[in-house]
Amino acid sequence: MNFAVEVKGLRKTFVSGWLRKRKTEALRGLDLSVPEGGFWGILGANGAGKTTLLSILSNLLTPEEGKVMILGREVRAHAMELCHKINLSSGHANFLWSLTVRENLEYYAMLYGLPGKRRQTKIEELLHLFDLRRFARIRFDELSTGTKQKLSLAKSLLNEPELLLLDEPTVGLDPDVAHRIRELIQQLHREKGTTILMTTHNMKEAETLCEEVAFIKDGTIKAFGRPKDLKRDLRLGDTILISFQGRLPVSTLEGMEGIYGFQANDSTCRILVDDHRQRLPQVLDLFIGQKVFIHDLRIQESDLEDVFMAFTK
Amino acid sequence: MKMSSWLLRNELIKTRAFVFKNWVMTKRNIFTIFEILFWPVVGFLSVGLLTEFSGLQPRMRAFLLVGVVSMSTIQVCQLDVAYVLLYDVWSKAVKHGFIAPVGIRHLLLGSLIVGIARGAAVFFILMGASYYFFGFDFTTVGTGPMILFLLGLFLCAATVGILVCILVLIFGNRADVAAWSLVSLMLLVCGIYYPVTILPRWVAPVSEVIPLTYFLDYFRHFYGFKPAFSLVLPKGFILVFAYLFLEITLMKAALRKAKKTGLLLKLSE
Repeated sequence: MNFAVEVKGLRKTFVSGWLRKRKTEALRGLDLSVPEGGFWGILGANGAGKTTLLSILSNLLTPEEGKVMILGREVRAHAMELCHKINLSSGHANFLWSLTVRENLEYYAMLYGLPGKRRQTKIEELLHLFDLRRFARIRFDELSTGTKQKLSLAKSLLNEPELLLLDEPTVGLDPDVAHRIRELIQQLHREKGTTILMTTHNMKEAETLCEEVAFIKDGTIKAFGRPKDLKRDLRLGDTILISFQGRLPVSTLEGMEGIYGFQANDSTCRILVDDHRQRLPQVLDLFIGQKVFIHDLRIQESDLEDVFMAFTK
Repeated sequence: MKMSSWLLRNELIKTRAFVFKNWVMTKRNIFTIFEILFWPVVGFLSVGLLTEFSGLQPRMRAFLLVGVVSMSTIQVCQLDVAYVLLYDVWSKAVKHGFIAPVGIRHLLLGSLIVGIARGAAVFFILMGASYYFFGFDFTTVGTGPMILFLLGLFLCAATVGILVCILVLIFGNRADVAAWSLVSLMLLVCGIYYPVTILPRWVAPVSEVIPLTYFLDYFRHFYGFKPAFSLVLPKGFILVFAYLFLEITLMKAALRKAKKTGLLLKLSE
């Protein structure tokens, strides 16, 4: 398998203060491998090291230790070559305040060496894709937060990057704008096959967009994998809540496949299963077979938020 | 397309990006208009009127007017070189520029082109004002010497502007004050309003290592002032190119340090 990002033993410590130096270890021997064409999410609490990781990958920050390979090349040794293949978009986007949307794109397109006609075509394409045409002549400092964020994403696609780093791309946005931005990111990944590495606080967003997620805490990756697998590994599962009347077949429940545990009293039962979609028919069959009358049935799905809580505890 | 012409085109596009940025920012911001028209003209008229009031001889008036015009030209030109980084710092957009595949050469050359355009505008405006208000004609020295003098001034401005960029990359945005203060320090020691020969002996070594001292000496000798130094033009150009080389090396080192300390990211927050 080819990896777009391969990081091994990454360490970064920030030193602040002049007289009394204070050290903050942001990354403590972090390892991560993201396959080419993958869409990975990096999740973690504030200060966990997410932005530090992305900054090192984009060569804005130099680590003390560790190996960083991007698209098969060592990041510092091939910095200029990799700059053509990577781009970054971050939340709370900031660009030159006096330049209009089109001028900002024009400027950054020139930085990537796009020649005249190709540059104009690319800018037009991105203005259209992000619905920015009507803002093309508006100065950056007059744009709304959502439009600024769209511009940030548009800018990050100017060089058609093979690796796109997204640092909390929907932070601080209205739900509708955030939803549209998620759609655009998803579309980009689907149509162009770009490898995307995204940091986010939003668990729902990660669950919707990312194929795999990695949990970062105290500067190391604590776990990674598909959200579904992570939930299974942590035995978080889903909860089936049933209110019933009759005699519950407790011993049968105990032996059923996919049941992590249960609690029951005379009228209610709480069953923790690995996947409610698979186990609910079996549970219902059991209740009906034993002639137990069901008053009410509810399902509580665990999500990445629960996984996050489990890891950050 | 041949590889060499592709590379050249690539270099030109990237350099043009910085010309574009500085140019658009200049035309959109009122303070940059003040930098070209208001402050240089006010400063120039103040000094010119002072020479009138003092009843100075035309030769002495030439000495002062050359000084004040040179200073304004350098100030405006160096600001553009410094602005190439400062605009990004003030916009908190530093990281976007530095993740792009551009080198320091593109950044400096692009900004210097705009600096030269703005500096030349100031020089020619003040040159016209000198003639109109005080009857002093800069063109008497001839085109060749004028071009050499202007080249010297613009290169001096580049060294000041790069120094500001280095300071910002080392100390962060609080160092932006250097963009306006470094030139004033130069004013003291390189003979803007007086010959460097009157400076205290311990200051002399300082003025001797500032290339502007030699360029001013060179230009003033056309107005009858004996140069304080020998081989003023070669010395001026050797010094200024040595500084440019040194500063570009230092700027690369400062950028590496900023990536190490995380300052580059802080400048974007």
